[in-house]
Amino acid sequence: CAVPTRVSTTNQSERSIWRGRLAVRVESDQAQSQPQAFAAGFELTGNAQAGELTLYTPVGTTAAALSWSAQTALMRTNGDIRSFASLDALIQQAVGAEIPVAALFAWLAGDNMSVAGWSADLSQLANGRVTARRTEPAPVTELRLVLEK
Amino acid sequence: GGLKSLEVFVKTVNTGRADFTQVVTAPAKAGQAPRVKTSSGTFEFSRPNRFKFVYKKPFEQNIVADGQTLWLYDVDLNQVTARQQSKVLGSTPAALIAAAPDLRALQADFTLADAPDKDGLQWAAATPKSKDGQLQSVRVGFRAGEQAAELAALEILDSFGQRSVLSFSRFEVNPALPGNSFQFKPPAGADVIRQ
Repeated sequence: CAVPTRVSTTNQSERSIWRGRLAVRVESDQAQSQPQAFAAGFELTGNAQAGELTLYTPVGTTAAALSWSAQTALMRTNGDIRSFASLDALIQQAVGAEIPVAALFAWLAGDNMSVAGWSADLSQLANGRVTARRTEPAPVTELRLVLEK
Repeated sequence: GGLKSLEVFVKTVNTGRADFTQVVTAPAKAGQAPRVKTSSGTFEFSRPNRFKFVYKKPFEQNIVADGQTLWLYDVDLNQVTARQQSKVLGSTPAALIAAAPDLRALQADFTLADAPDKDGLQWAAATPKSKDGQLQSVRVGFRAGEQAAELAALEILDSFGQRSVLSFSRFEVNPALPGNSFQFKPPAGADVIRQ
């Protein structure tokens, strides 16, 4: 299929920056209990090796500032800094689900990188929308992103 | 000063409707110009615990406090999150202008003080008492009006140094608001998550 055009707001050579809003929904495996969900404004820069993800509340205040490099995975919230063993653990804590960050950068750049258990829909990337779903392992997880124009 | 205007405002303005523009200025990062995001929409409230922010530009988002539940609806993401108002409302900036029945109730969640005049407005400063530390300071700005001072601005500085300023215009004092102004029914097909 045709490769969607790149939407990142700066060209690749500079540090690409993506801004918009994301929603994560985790189906609960117990029948009655509620699905878990997370929604926030975001700004994402860098790549899976070294980058930053800042999360904002709907009213425009900063909820959390995540940063990672080869050695560190940090989350800054309300004046305290927490360190995590891995980027995956950091992301799980921040958004309530294990989002594959390397694949996320690729998806945002229009490259439908495949990740075990995940399938991404980049068909609406030109309209600034990316959706990805993890079908296994349970629980089913859905990530929806809307990029700022 | 600003504190007197806030006291008069909280006592005499039971309902309100205004247009708002919100300018969010991210803390300047080394070597980068500070980034500014602007959004706009309409704001309504009815004391003591109902208000509604309808963001129209650059994207549609509704924040509705119906008295029990605080609803957050992001139209593009088609997701609604619902939280118990009692759990979240107290220290949110909107509570300052819309939710408290009187100044004393505000002082349960904020330390209130006069702040110096700026940009032609009188300001009241409100420092949140809650320890979650998400907000550094909140300030409410009033413009001298014919009778009572008029609500003009709400300025929120968070603990990361991000500044959000809501400027109100075409402010209607004590309008008659229809009964269902603050009702929110999640649209069919939207993801509704209770937290």
